[in-house]
Amino acid sequence: MPPLATEKESAAKIRRRYRTLLLVMLAVLAAAVLFSFWVGYYHLTPGEVIKAFLTRLGFAADGLDPNAITIFWNIRLPRILSALFIGASLSVAGATYQGMFRNPLVSPDILGVSSGASLGASLAILMGAGSLMVQGAAFLGGILAVALSYLISRKSPHSQTLSLVLTGSMIMALCNAGVTMIKYVADPNDVLQQITYWLMGSLTKADMEAFLWSVVPMLLGLSLIFLLRWRVNLLTMDEEEARSLGVNIRRYRVIFIVASTLLSAASVCLSGLIGWVGLMIPHMARALVGADYGRLIPASAMLGAGYLLLMDDLARSLLSLELPIGVVTSIMGAPFFVYLIIKRKEG
Amino acid sequence: MLLELEGVRGGYGHQEIVKGVSCAADHGDILCLVGPNGCGKTTLFRLLLGVLPTTGGSIRIGGKETKTLSPKALANLIAYIPQYHTPVFAYTVLDVVIMGRASHLSAFEAPKAVDRDAAFEALEKVNAAHLANQKYTALSGGQRQLILIARAICQSAQVFVMDEPAANLDYANHQLLMEVVADLAKRGYCVVMSTHSPEHPASIGTKVLLMRAGQVAAFGPPQEVITPEHLQAVYGIEMDVATVTDRYGVQRTICLPVKRPGETIS
Repeated sequence: MPPLATEKESAAKIRRRYRTLLLVMLAVLAAAVLFSFWVGYYHLTPGEVIKAFLTRLGFAADGLDPNAITIFWNIRLPRILSALFIGASLSVAGATYQGMFRNPLVSPDILGVSSGASLGASLAILMGAGSLMVQGAAFLGGILAVALSYLISRKSPHSQTLSLVLTGSMIMALCNAGVTMIKYVADPNDVLQQITYWLMGSLTKADMEAFLWSVVPMLLGLSLIFLLRWRVNLLTMDEEEARSLGVNIRRYRVIFIVASTLLSAASVCLSGLIGWVGLMIPHMARALVGADYGRLIPASAMLGAGYLLLMDDLARSLLSLELPIGVVTSIMGAPFFVYLIIKRKEG
Repeated sequence: MLLELEGVRGGYGHQEIVKGVSCAADHGDILCLVGPNGCGKTTLFRLLLGVLPTTGGSIRIGGKETKTLSPKALANLIAYIPQYHTPVFAYTVLDVVIMGRASHLSAFEAPKAVDRDAAFEALEKVNAAHLANQKYTALSGGQRQLILIARAICQSAQVFVMDEPAANLDYANHQLLMEVVADLAKRGYCVVMSTHSPEHPASIGTKVLLMRAGQVAAFGPPQEVITPEHLQAVYGIEMDVATVTDRYGVQRTICLPVKRPGETIS
C-alpha cells in the first residue's frame, strides 16, 4: 500500500479506537454509579435503585423498604450527581486552562476562583447566612476574583497569559489574606469551625437543592466548552500563529475564561475546595486519547466524573467517620504530581 | 500583482519601526527580505499578517485591502509559517496540519472528512504523508518545518510568510527546505521570507527587498540588489559578492564580509 493510504487507514483506526474508548468509559461510569449507590451504611442494590427511581414516575414500590426510597432520593442521588458534575467540571476547566496558558501544570484555580469563593463563603458564614446564601456568596466571590484578575491583567503591557498568571496569584494572595483575617476574628466555638469545615471540601452539604442551583452554570460552561472544544487547540499555539490561522484569540480567551470560571465557581460553591482533580485528570485523558482537544474534552469530562465519584465512595467508606473528599483527592494527587515531575518527557 | 505594499508604516505604540515600505510580488515569486538586525523585517511581517495595525500606507492581497478584512478572511489569503517550534502538548502531525483548516470552519465546527483529506493532500505535497500519525513533538527541526509548511498549504492561502526559515537548520535540512520553497513557488504560491544571509535570495529568490532602518534600501531582482555597494550601505561593512562555479557547473553567489588586513572595524 502507498504511504498515503496506509496513513489514512491508521488515522481512521485511531478515530475508531477513540470512539470505542468513549463507549468503554461510559460503561465503566454507569457501573461506578451503581456501585456508588451500594456503598455506604445502607447498601442499595441495583434492583432497589431502579425500583426507587420508578416510584417517582408513579410505579408502586412493591416490597421496597421505604428507607431505601428516602436514601435513594435524598442522600445518594444528589451526592452522586454532585460528584459526577463536579468531577467533570473541574477536569474540563483544568484541561481548558492548561491549553490556554500553554502549561500542563496549570489547575483551574489559577485565576483565583477558589480563593475568591473561599472568601465569599467565609464572609457569608461570618455574617450568619444560611447554607444556600453561603453557596451563592461563594459562587459570586469566585466569579468576582476572576473578573478582577482579568480586568487588571488588561492594563499590563506584558503578554496576556503572563499578566493573567501574575494578577491571578495576586488576587489569590489577597483573598487568602481575607479568609485568614475572617478566621482570626470568627468565634472559635462556632463560626470558625463552620468556616474551616467548609474550606475542607466535602460533599456532605450537597443536597438536591444545592445541586440544582450549581448544575445550571455547570451545564452552561460544559456545553460552551464542548461546542468550542476543537478551538482550544489553536490557543495552545503562539498568539501570532493563532491569529494568522484566522482566530480572534483574545475573544476566544474571554469565552474560555468565562466558561471555565462558571465551572470551577459552581463546583467550589457546592463542595468547597477539592484540589488536584483539574490538574490530574487532563493528564490521564491525554495519555488515553492524545493531545487533540476535540477528543480531550469529552474524555476529561468522563474520567473526571468517574474519578471524583470513586474518591467520594472512598471518602465515605474508608473509615467509620467520613473523610473530607478534599483530603482524599490531595492524598491521591500529590504522588501523581511527583510522578509527573520525575517522569521522562515523552517524545 | 498578488501582493502589493505601498508606503506601509507601523510599529509599537508611538515608536514607528517600519517607515514607508513599498514592494510587490506575484504568484510564483520568492520575495526575500534582507537587512541587519533591527531593520524592521519582523515588524513588517507582523504588519503583513495583521498582528500589528498599520499606521499608514496600504497592503493589498489579490486587490483586497488587508486592514478591512476579518482575521478569518485574512487567513484565507496569507499564511504564516513560524520557525519550527515545540508545542507543550504532544500533538500528532495530523492534528497540527489540520489546524490550518480553522479559517474554513465556523466556531462550533470540528474538522471533518474533507478537512482531513485536505491535510493529507498538503502533507503529500511536502512529501511528508508518512509522518501523518507520528507525534509532531518527536520530529526533527527540519521535519517540523515541513509540517508547518503543510499546515499553510492546508490553510489554502496564496501568500506564505516565513520568518527566518533557515535559522537553526543544518546544511541538509536547509537544502531540503529551500527545495520545498522553490517547489511552492513553482506551484504558484507567493513566498515571502526573511533571511539573515544575503546568499539565500541570490540562490533562490526572484525578488529581494533590502531594508535598512525601516526603509527600503533596494528592491528588485537579486542580481541588481545583491551588490557590494548595496550590502555595504546596509550592513555598514565592506562586502564582496563573488560568483563561484560548483562541481556540477552551477553558478553560485556567495557574500563575504571583508576588511583590509590589519584594520579594525570601528
